[in-house]
Formats: sequence, structure tokens, C-alpha cells
Amino acid sequence: MHPYRCNSSQHDLSRRQVLGGLAGMGVGSLLSPLVAKELKSQKKQVLLIWLDGGMSQLESWDPKPGTEFGGPFRSIPTTLPGIHVSELMPHTAQQMQHLAVVRSMCTKDENHSTGVPRILRGDPKNRGVTYPYMGAAMAHLKGQPDSELPNYIWVKPGSGGFIWQHGGFLGAKYGALALGDGKPPVHIKRPPEIDEQGDQTRNAIRKRLNATFKKGRRSAEVEAYDYSFQMAEKLIRRKELFGDFTPQELQRYGSHPLGRHILQSKRLIEEGVLFVQCHSYHWDTHGDNFNMHLDLVPQIDKPFAALIEDWHQSGLLDNVLVLLMSEFGRTPKINQRLGRDHWPEAWSLAMAGCGLNRGIVLGKTTSNGAWVDDQEYDIGHIFHTAFRAVDIDPAVREYENNGQPLPIAHDDCGPIKELLA
Amino acid sequence: MRISLPGTLLIVLCCSLPVRGADQLATQIDQLIEAKAGGKVAGPADDAEFFRRLYLDLNGIVPTPAQVRSFLADDDPQKRTRQIKALLNNEAYARRMREAFTVMLLERRTGTTIPDEQWNSFLENSFAKNKPWNQIVREIIRADASQDETRGSLKFFTATGRTAHDQMAQDVARLFLGMNIHCAKCHDHPTVDDFKQADYFGLLAYLNQSKPAKHTGNKKTFLVEGVAAGKVEFQSVFSPDTKNEIGPRLPGGKEVEIPVFEKGQEFSQPAADGLPAVPKFQPRKLLAEQLTSAENRRFVENSVNRFWFLMMGRGLVHPLEMMHSDNLASHPKVLKLLADEFIAHQFDVKWLLQQLAESRVYQRSSLLPAGLAAQDALPESYRVANAKGLTPEQTAWSIMRVTGVLAELAKKERPAESGFSFKDYINGRIPAPDNFTDTMLLFTSIFGNPPGEAEIQFQPSMGQALFLMNEQLILDWLKPSKGRLVGRLEKMVDPKQVAEELFLTILARMPSEEESNDVVQHLEKNMARRTAAISEYAWALISSAEFKLNH
Repeated sequence: MHPYRCNSSQHDLSRRQVLGGLAGMGVGSLLSPLVAKELKSQKKQVLLIWLDGGMSQLESWDPKPGTEFGGPFRSIPTTLPGIHVSELMPHTAQQMQHLAVVRSMCTKDENHSTGVPRILRGDPKNRGVTYPYMGAAMAHLKGQPDSELPNYIWVKPGSGGFIWQHGGFLGAKYGALALGDGKPPVHIKRPPEIDEQGDQTRNAIRKRLNATFKKGRRSAEVEAYDYSFQMAEKLIRRKELFGDFTPQELQRYGSHPLGRHILQSKRLIEEGVLFVQCHSYHWDTHGDNFNMHLDLVPQIDKPFAALIEDWHQSGLLDNVLVLLMSEFGRTPKINQRLGRDHWPEAWSLAMAGCGLNRGIVLGKTTSNGAWVDDQEYDIGHIFHTAFRAVDIDPAVREYENNGQPLPIAHDDCGPIKELLA
Repeated sequence: MRISLPGTLLIVLCCSLPVRGADQLATQIDQLIEAKAGGKVAGPADDAEFFRRLYLDLNGIVPTPAQVRSFLADDDPQKRTRQIKALLNNEAYARRMREAFTVMLLERRTGTTIPDEQWNSFLENSFAKNKPWNQIVREIIRADASQDETRGSLKFFTATGRTAHDQMAQDVARLFLGMNIHCAKCHDHPTVDDFKQADYFGLLAYLNQSKPAKHTGNKKTFLVEGVAAGKVEFQSVFSPDTKNEIGPRLPGGKEVEIPVFEKGQEFSQPAADGLPAVPKFQPRKLLAEQLTSAENRRFVENSVNRFWFLMMGRGLVHPLEMMHSDNLASHPKVLKLLADEFIAHQFDVKWLLQQLAESRVYQRSSLLPAGLAAQDALPESYRVANAKGLTPEQTAWSIMRVTGVLAELAKKERPAESGFSFKDYINGRIPAPDNFTDTMLLFTSIFGNPPGEAEIQFQPSMGQALFLMNEQLILDWLKPSKGRLVGRLEKMVDPKQVAEELFLTILARMPSEEESNDVVQHLEKNMARRTAAISEYAWALISSAEFKLNH
């Protein structure tokens, strides 16, 4: 067995020391070949950063300054010759050599309520079942059932809880553990009067009772309830996952919620969580789009760039797929409230890491930014690409739902070949 | 003749199903649901499962072991019907309804304009008196703060996060009309043809004159109305150049003409005591009448759908707030029947709940019958009983009852300036709550959703599991003090008796032979620490899925 696969806390500790030390010194290239090889062969992981409501492509990845719909912001050069991004993203502009940006997303739904789940489920063909969210899909296809940590954690503002609906037809246990406001659950500490032995004994009885009750009944509720306890047991053993961030970290990533939540997500990935989804809200700029983007984009620009740089230096970017996206972009047309509305027709997203080709900008929109001009991609392509990046081949793997085989990604799409190494 | 006799006996003895008239609503519901079931349905729940379910649904708490014993021993074939009536008529009924509808209507929003106690007493009294449901809703929308009896109703529109007119309109649509028209604020609902932007603004036009005002004498807040100047203007973000306007109009209803009065003639009462003059035309007052009228089919159907959901664990129309022509009821005839009969019975809540509780649909077992696979027994088929998660309130009441702390917590007065807050407690700044109200607050903070999020689905969370595992208060309740469960059990010599008491108290049923043996073995294995072992077992039962589910 590979040393980093056994999940013993000793290995985690040594891995953390390695990563932490190198990241601190910023000398990723000094990794000894042996360590570098070992890091590479670790399980692959995914961080999905979600800007809920829809970030404007024109104020980020695909600026069109000086055109009809371009808006007031300028564009700036990046580390990629000839490639410009919005001036609101100065930090990310310096990390473009590590990114793969797709400027020609063309998807279907212009509603939040249906568009968000559609995109996060990869918009599969209607098969009469509810498809899992990407995190739940990864947890099912790649998760280790005996992992000490939940395979799918959702760092989000607001409330937390176990969001089992994300599991879709795969079932409740593949749902997301949501950390409300990125915070660790309270009651993570076991009172001294309950020792390890006593804790195991009482939980063993509880499990026997649940097994008896489940017999002959519909099992979803029992399983979801049982799973909430399983996760609690696992987490009690891993308290170090949550701690204060250093002033340096906060300075580098930002002390605002998104900065903290990206830091928390980073730590969860570094501790071995398979899939982390990190949400930011309030990107739905129907009114006052430009002032809002002036405020919002820097909140993602700085921590995103810091994350890419840190993970590149530590080598982790080789094993972690980072996705930065929304449910759609925003209308080129500026409405009467100086806002931009929902626009699935032509928008951008960014990917990085996990062996994807770096320093690539794919696809093109028309000169006014309204339509895709070249290399149109749907969300199905992104799912194919993401699966391939983490060594799951949608041409080979499939779901099985009560005997019915189902494709894991839209069968009319395929991976974006230019991105795969 | 001789052959039919054992059959009849069998039905009476095994199922104890009440004898009902064919014209009863419950009978008609059963016929419609079973006609559509497409095959086998589960038989009746056994007495213990039925009894616990009924207690939780109508009284919001699990029954005591003595109550369970006496119900199991009762051989009256009409005992279920008797019990339904009894639980509808005891004191806990109004409290349970108040809790359920507070969570449904306020969605854990707080606010100090109307203290919680005032809202609670308004709602609890309303259910205790069995006020017609449409009257309760009428009073909530009317929000008449001048009468002590209805003053609490003002909380609906003054709760934190609901004071803006658009939020008022959205929540009225969602909770009383089964329409989530959030999307229709900016444009017609893109996927739901029935939800139009005009519906949104039509409702808004009833509410946009409402504003709080303070009485100079008694310093109380009132929700007064200004003079409606005209229709509400709106445009779709997709066609910003097209201006639309609408006056007060219920979805699917007729627009109300806003009357124009001569200057100086707009008011029926002059300003007084710091409250503005009362206009002759008060659209919110009108909304209270029109929305709750039997003519407003949407209101009636949404109402019965929500009572059905409370009892059956799933709305006939589901999600509850998506009542439209592309998301019809699973059983349209049942919905129509319930609505017709609710009107015919003058919105009598107790009558409706009694009929639902008497139906075979309600009284089915949660166990799949032989030959019925789980995937063929979808929740909307009602072929087996749907399991409902215990609400935060039911969880709190029930854990307090089974551990034996309820009486002592209820006895203890809550200090006038308690200052208890969940945040302070979990951060270790204040000691554990020692009275019922604060303890309930702790439980609802752990088990409830944040303000503004409906509690419809069973959503177990790891945080709740951690609370049960590691909260000192729960562990303390399981210590062998006087009057508490473990204190009572540790004195029992016979391990079989311990097993029976554990199951009867916590799960409201007798243990099976196998379950009883499991307790006996556990106690034998832990002779040296017998009390701790009993406490461990009680903890496991309280933390089991069977306890957490109303099955």
C-alpha cells in the first residue's frame, strides 16, 4: 500500500509538514525527487469555487473594453502574451501561466433556481432520475468509503448541515457536509467522562438499533441519519482541520468571508478531503453591475491568485483540480439599472491543475461579447474534462441505478482535448 | 355464514380499524389513494407505532410509558378513534399546533416589535378555540393590534427580515397561496407559466401601503395603512421599455379598482394618538378578506395541502410552494375533495385533522409489506407510512420527557432577564440552561434552520449528531439522579425489566425478544459499571433513527 494512502495520522502529519514548510519558503522546486513523486501519486482532489448568481465575464476573463457593451473597465495584460483580462483581476493576471480559461461557455438555463443545479449536475440528458452534484459524483466515483473525512465538504456562507439532496439518485450518503460560514461544528470536543471505549460501545449499540429499524423499511432517512453520526465520529478525531488563520494568511487571501472560506477550503484539501465546494453569493448584479463588480471581483482575484501560486509552489496543483465558475455569465447588454442580467449564451470559466495543460485560453466570443464565435462548450464538456483530470474515464465508468446503466457525463459531449495533457 | 365470522373477527382484533360511514372524508380519501396505488399497500401500523405517531402529530411529544401500556392493554375496537379525539382535545394540542405553525409561518424569524409570547398566545388560543383556519389567516393578514386577542398576529408582518413590502408579498404568496414567486419580481417565472410578474405586483399592491406606526399613549406599534395613490408600476428586465401597472389583484383573481376620493375625503377616521388618519380604502384589510375567502381556491388548496403535509409527511402538491399547473397534486381528486370538504365544514381544523388521522392512509405501517419493494413505494404513493423527522420542538419535548427532566425544567421559573443565548452557551460564556424555555431555545438553535429557511424536509446534520454525542447537558440528563430515567432503571434488578422500561420509555414500544436479549447481554458484560451501561444504552436509543423519526 502506498504510504500516503493509508490515511494514518502520522503520514498526514508528515505530509502537512512537507507542504507547510515548502509553501512557507516558496521553494517548491526544491522538492526532492522522491517526495515530489510521492506527492504526485496521491489521490487526486477537486476544489470547486462557485460564484453564485453569475460573475460577469466582461468584468473578468473576457473583457471587451471600448466596445458597445464593454463597460467602464480597462483590460490589462497577463503573463500570457497577447492575453488580457479585466483590470479588476491584477493578481490573477500574474498567474495566468497556470490556468486554463474557457471563454466560450454556452449553456442552457438562465434561471438561478434551475440553472444552479443544472450546471452543478453537469446538465445530463433527462433519464427520469435526479443526477448528483459534481461533488457527490466524485464522492461516489472516487471517494474512499472508509475515509476519515467526509469526501464532499461544502464551505458556504450562512447555515451549515448535511445537504443530502446533492446526492441525487446516488443516495443520501453522497450528500454534502455544509460548513456554515466555514466554521467547524460546535460540540466537536468529547467530554472527558466519555472515553474512547465508552464512545465506541454506545455507538455500536446505536448502529445495531438502526440496522434493526431499517429492516423492511425505506432506508433513505435512516441512512442519512446514520451517516450524520458517522461523519461526526470521523470529525471528532480530526479537530485540527479547523483553526485560526495566521495574519499572513489573512493578508494574502483577504479577511473577508470569501478569503477565509478559500483558506478553509485550502486547508480541507490539504488535509485530504476529496472534493471541496466553496461558495460565494451576491454575484447577481441586475442593478449597479459595475460598482458591484468593482467590489466583488477583487474578493476573488486575490485569494484565487494566492491559492494558485501557493499550490503551484507546493506542488499540490499537480494533484488538485481547481474550478472557478458560476451558473452563467451576464448579459452584454447593460440594462436601465446599469445592471447586467443572466446570460448563459456566452460566458467564461477557469480551471487549473491536476495535469490540465497550463497557460491556455480557449474559445472566443464575438467582438461585442454577445455570442460564442468559436469552440462552443457546454457544461457537459467541463464534466468530461474534470472527470478525466482526476483519472475517471466517462467512456468507461458509468453509474448503475437499479440495474439501469447511466452515463456519468452528458453523452453528447466529450472532454476538451486541448486541456488534457 | 360460518366462514365469514373468523374473517370479521380478524379485522377487528388485528387491525382495530374504526367502523366508519362511507360518506366520511377519511373513507373517501382511502378509496382515492388506494385506487391509485397500483398494487399492494402496507397494512395498519401496530398499536404502538400508531400511538406514538398520533402523539407526536397531535401533541408534539412521545407518550409516557404508562400511556403506552394503557393503550396497548385497551381492547376497545374504537380505541384509535377515541384516542384521536382525546389528543385533539387536550391542552397539548394547541401548543403543538402553535409550534408547528409558528415554524411554518414565521420560519424562525424573530423580532422585538411583538414579543414571542404575544404571538404564541395569539396562535395557541386560536387553535385552542378551534378558530376556523381562514379566520386565523385573516387575522394574521389583518394584523389588528388594537385588540389584545389579536395583537400577537402583528408578528407575521413585523418579524425581522419580513418588514419590506416585497418580502411581505412573497411570503404571503408562498405560505398562503402555495406560490414561490420570488423569480417573478423581475420577470414572469421562466419555467412556471402560472407565476406571472403581475401576480407579484398585484399582491404587492395590497401591501405597499402598510407601515408601522407607534401609538403615543401606550407606545405600542401598529401596522397602519396610507392612502393608495394608484397602481403599482413594473417592468420586466427582459423588456425594460414596456411599462406595466396593476392594482391590488389576487393571483387568478380580479383586479380591485382603487377608489379615488376628493381631497380631504380619503379618511374614515382622523389622525389620533400619533397614529395617522385611517383611509377609507385599506388594501391590506381587503386582502385579509379576499385571500381567505372560500372563493379563493388557491388559498383553500394550499391550506389543506399543508395540513395534509403535517400529517402525512409529504404534500399532495410538493414542494408545498410550487402549486401550479405543471406540478399538479399527486392525487388531484384528493386535493379537490379536501378543499371542498374543508369549505363545507367552515375551515374546521380539528375536524380536518380528525378525518386525516382516521384514514387508513395515516394509519398505515411504515414497514413495507411482503412483495412491495422500496423503489415501488415512493413517498407520493402513500403505500407505506412516510417517516417524518422529529421537529426541533418534538425532539426537545421528547428527549426531556424520556430522560425524566421535563417536570423539573418546567417547574423552574425562567428569570425575567434570563439573557440566555445559544451563542453564549456554546462558547462557554454562560452555564447550561436550567429552565424549560431556555432549554427549548438551545434545542431549536441546534436542530432548527436559520431564520427564513422553511423546515420541510428531514435534514439530519452532523452538528446535531455531535450535540447528542458531546453535549454535557444531554450526558447529565442520563445520570442516575432522582426522578430521572437512569435513576429509576438502576434500581431494577431484573435486566429484562430494564430492557422493557428502556424501550417503552424511549421508543414507546415493547422490545422484541432479540432486543431484550441485547440489553441483557450488554448489562452482563458491564456488571462492574452497570449504571453507566444503562446510561449508554439509553443514549443509543435516544440517538437512534427510530427515535428521531416519526414513523
